Amino acid sequence: MTHLEPDRLADRALSIDDPLTAAEEKHLDSCAECRDELAELSRIAELGRNPERLAPQLVPTEAMWQSIQVQLVSQVTAPATTEPAAEPPPSSPTVTELPRRTPRPRSWLLVAAAAVVGLIIGAGVTTVVVRDRVEVTSSTSLEALPGQTGQGIAELVSDRGRPELRVQIDAPPTPDRYREVWLINTDGQRMYTLGVLPDDGRATYLLPPELAGQLQGFNIVDVSIEPYDGNPAHSRESQVRGTLPT
Amino acid sequence: MTQSFYARIIADPGRVRVISVVDDGRLEAEVVGDHTDWRTATEPELRVGFAQGDEACLQEVFRRSAPLIYTIAYRALGSSTDGEEITQEVFVSAWRARENYQAEKGSVSGWLIGIARHRIVDRQRARGRDLRLVQAVTKQTDVQIQPEALSTLIDRIVLTEEIGRLPHPRGTILHLAFWEGRSYPQIAEQLDLPLGTVKSHARRALLHLRTRLAEVTS
Repeated sequence: MTHLEPDRLADRALSIDDPLTAAEEKHLDSCAECRDELAELSRIAELGRNPERLAPQLVPTEAMWQSIQVQLVSQVTAPATTEPAAEPPPSSPTVTELPRRTPRPRSWLLVAAAAVVGLIIGAGVTTVVVRDRVEVTSSTSLEALPGQTGQGIAELVSDRGRPELRVQIDAPPTPDRYREVWLINTDGQRMYTLGVLPDDGRATYLLPPELAGQLQGFNIVDVSIEPYDGNPAHSRESQVRGTLPT
Repeated sequence: MTQSFYARIIADPGRVRVISVVDDGRLEAEVVGDHTDWRTATEPELRVGFAQGDEACLQEVFRRSAPLIYTIAYRALGSSTDGEEITQEVFVSAWRARENYQAEKGSVSGWLIGIARHRIVDRQRARGRDLRLVQAVTKQTDVQIQPEALSTLIDRIVLTEEIGRLPHPRGTILHLAFWEGRSYPQIAEQLDLPLGTVKSHARRALLHLRTRLAEVTS
């Protein structure tokens, strides 16, 4: 018997109620190729079903694109040595020969990147750094609490010397309710609210000045789910939580 | 797979012209004119534009693929700073090494993911060195991700994106079956479609996802 049709293997992987015939079962028993294919389809179906699927895509910033342009300028302006394929990725053993056009005298990239560099020099910064000057002081992953799903990260950063907490979570939004970010003291008694977390799960908060130097025990980053009840207290329902290292 | 790629290029002769197809499967195609609007370009057109070194095309490739690369790097490394750096490195090195990109073998995004995979592993190794020092004093647990876990993570993120891109009703059917746990008869009733159609969409969708993942992982 020839190999099973992909459709039949897909049926099996999806548990579509259309049983294999005896002959098909027999082939499957004896054919490693079909079994491997079925295993891969089943793995994909399983991954697709996994509740951890909630991985909303993060949106790159404009600064990232500008930084790429700046980094490429050094290549564009470098002497005309062809870049020695610094990075041959695994899947590209041979070189595709494509007809190459003569480069335009002033390339778009060069112009655009020069504009970015000009902007930076104009701003009085001596080094070519496009990424905002943010240092991560410490960070923690945020894990879902029992009964919740989601995960994320909280980073304590110093943005030009100003202490901020940067939160990014991938967790389902909460219909009819909103989320709030807190710093809770390890004594379990005291907490600060930092503010509302937008639905996309990304936000940066200024810290109370007292905590600027050190967290003084307010190391627990907590994202709560809050009803629209006008009550400023913590709802006692948390979605994700993590503890910043002291 | 290769055949359908050519066919799509020929079908859009106004923007990308196929000059010839050489015997060993290499592609020779050219973007015609300087004013190609990459924002409306099809995926195969982007392949050709990228391979040919069209700089405006790179920006569009970034627009379409950077969210995927950034998400993978961020999730793998658990840090938005590292995620941003890796993303930038991937695009810079992909552009510099674009002569190695084979347009007929797969999408630009699949190629970028391959580069990202290496960069992430490198970064994790470098971190592991730092981490061992830290662990010596703090007994912190090893956060380094295993290679299989990285592959699964990439698969999962690519799958999420691909499922999100499936056209209606295929995407809806998969959504209901996978994420809402509905049976196929329930879905058929809910969408008012014949049961056979629902099943057929589901299996087509799964086979599509399999093709896409093979391209990314090969």
